[in-house]
Amino acid sequence: MSHHFIRFTNVHYSYPDGTEALKGISLTVTHGERVALLGLNGCGKSTLLLHTNGLLLPSEGEVNVGDVPVTKNTLPVVRRAVGMVFQNPDDMLFMPTVYDDVAFGPRNMKLPEKEVDRRVRTALSAVGLKGCDDKAAFQLSGGQRRSAAIASVLSMEPDILVLDEPSSNLDIKARRNLIDLLKTFHHTIIVATHDMEMAQELCPRSILMQDGRIIADASTSEIMQRI
Amino acid sequence: MADIEKTYLKLARINTGGGCSNTSPAMLFITLTYLICVLSVPLYQPQKLIWLAAYPVAVSEIEGIGYGKIFIKSLWILPLVFFIGIFNPFIDTAVAFRIGNISVSQGCISFISILIRGLLSFQSVLILVATTGFIDIFNTMRKFGCPSVLTTQLLLSYRYIYLIIDQAVIMKRAREARGYGRKNYPLKMWGQFVGQLLIRSSQRAVWIHRAMDARGFDGTMPTGHSLTWTSRTWVWLVAWCSVIICLRLIDFSSLIKHFVS
Ligand SMILES: Nc1ncnc2c1ncn2[C@@H]1O[C@H](COP(=O)(O)OP(=O)(O)O)[C@@H](O)[C@H]1O
Ligand SMILES: [Mg+2]
Repeated sequence: MSHHFIRFTNVHYSYPDGTEALKGISLTVTHGERVALLGLNGCGKSTLLLHTNGLLLPSEGEVNVGDVPVTKNTLPVVRRAVGMVFQNPDDMLFMPTVYDDVAFGPRNMKLPEKEVDRRVRTALSAVGLKGCDDKAAFQLSGGQRRSAAIASVLSMEPDILVLDEPSSNLDIKARRNLIDLLKTFHHTIIVATHDMEMAQELCPRSILMQDGRIIADASTSEIMQRI
Repeated sequence: MADIEKTYLKLARINTGGGCSNTSPAMLFITLTYLICVLSVPLYQPQKLIWLAAYPVAVSEIEGIGYGKIFIKSLWILPLVFFIGIFNPFIDTAVAFRIGNISVSQGCISFISILIRGLLSFQSVLILVATTGFIDIFNTMRKFGCPSVLTTQLLLSYRYIYLIIDQAVIMKRAREARGYGRKNYPLKMWGQFVGQLLIRSSQRAVWIHRAMDARGFDGTMPTGHSLTWTSRTWVWLVAWCSVIICLRLIDFSSLIKHFVS
């Protein structure tokens, strides 16, 4: 059984206030693919990403992660498989220290504390935050917060990594580090971004959205020529 | 704003002990007992509060925090209790007793009583946080049947406070940047400001909950150690509660007078 691919089948989603954010999304992302999700603000990128690990469930249509349909009952399995990094790292750092934040996922998985510690250290050093474990999130710089947010997902060792505008608000160096870090992740990556250079460097494939629909799904260079 | 931020930072960092010796699960209940005892002392008998000060002094020394540190941090509560009690001397002017030819009013006594009460209560809470830690306090509550909706909300409220301050600072700057040095705003604008602040903060609360769910949150904050009630916990609990109740009920002042004379 592989968890490594994601399939959307005719997914519609309306927010409680009636905003129709997704209007029939169908797509498949297979194992090891790196896909960029492009489009103007408000076109539905974040809403789509929230469906990949069941934080939102479709109003209509179906989402599958590997062989598992995303429903209320399968959420624990799905969330182990799909790690999601939010657009605003502050939303992901809510524990007293960075260490506790990165350990939050593994501890919820009820892993033994020794394994938790190993994973936290691995994740923190992967994102270049060695030695920051005892700091509180609000003592970190913007770039460090982003790294901590990514570490908090990496520590769960997901099969699929989903990121929402990860390079926004990063300086040149932090952005470079981020791209290099993502290149080392050999599983599936879906990344919503306005950063065309990052898309081009990281993702062979791009999906272009407009007003809740997919209007193009092709190689990144092809999509670049269109816009 | 910067001052609020600094104070908050200090408050958030008070839990330095790492907590969780096997006595710490009992601290929540000991603190509750203490608060009930302190708050039930009649307003016009502040002398009875003095004996109750023995608890924060003894516990902070035994736990190795040091009473001096707790005392200084507890002074932060003074402005608040000051405003709660400040009108008493003016309202309640009945004379309680005289020292020489200075008459001390009942209002003065109740004012002092409120100050000491505030200090002692806040000290006991600071000790609780320092010995047990935010997360374990709420995990203890959960263990004893408190619904996780409530404990999670409480636990995160200290994180939200920071977010709200954060948000307020951003909005204040944005407003000032466009206000060309204007210092005072009409009340209506303040209303809009607060309204915006609440909306923005609650939106962020939604995202934080999503972030917790996304990482497998099941209602109990994971800490990496389990709260275990050993026989030592029980001894600690029973011993301190008895001491506190004795301090509250036994009138040591008259006892001492009795033995001296
Ligand atoms: N919580 C919400 N309630 C109502 N409407 C929302 C909510 N979140 C987003 N939307 C709306 O859904 C649409 C898609 O938003 P979003 O997925 O955030 O777009 P993107 O991430 O591409 O900028 C937008 O029109 C936005 O206004
Ligand atoms: Mg978005």
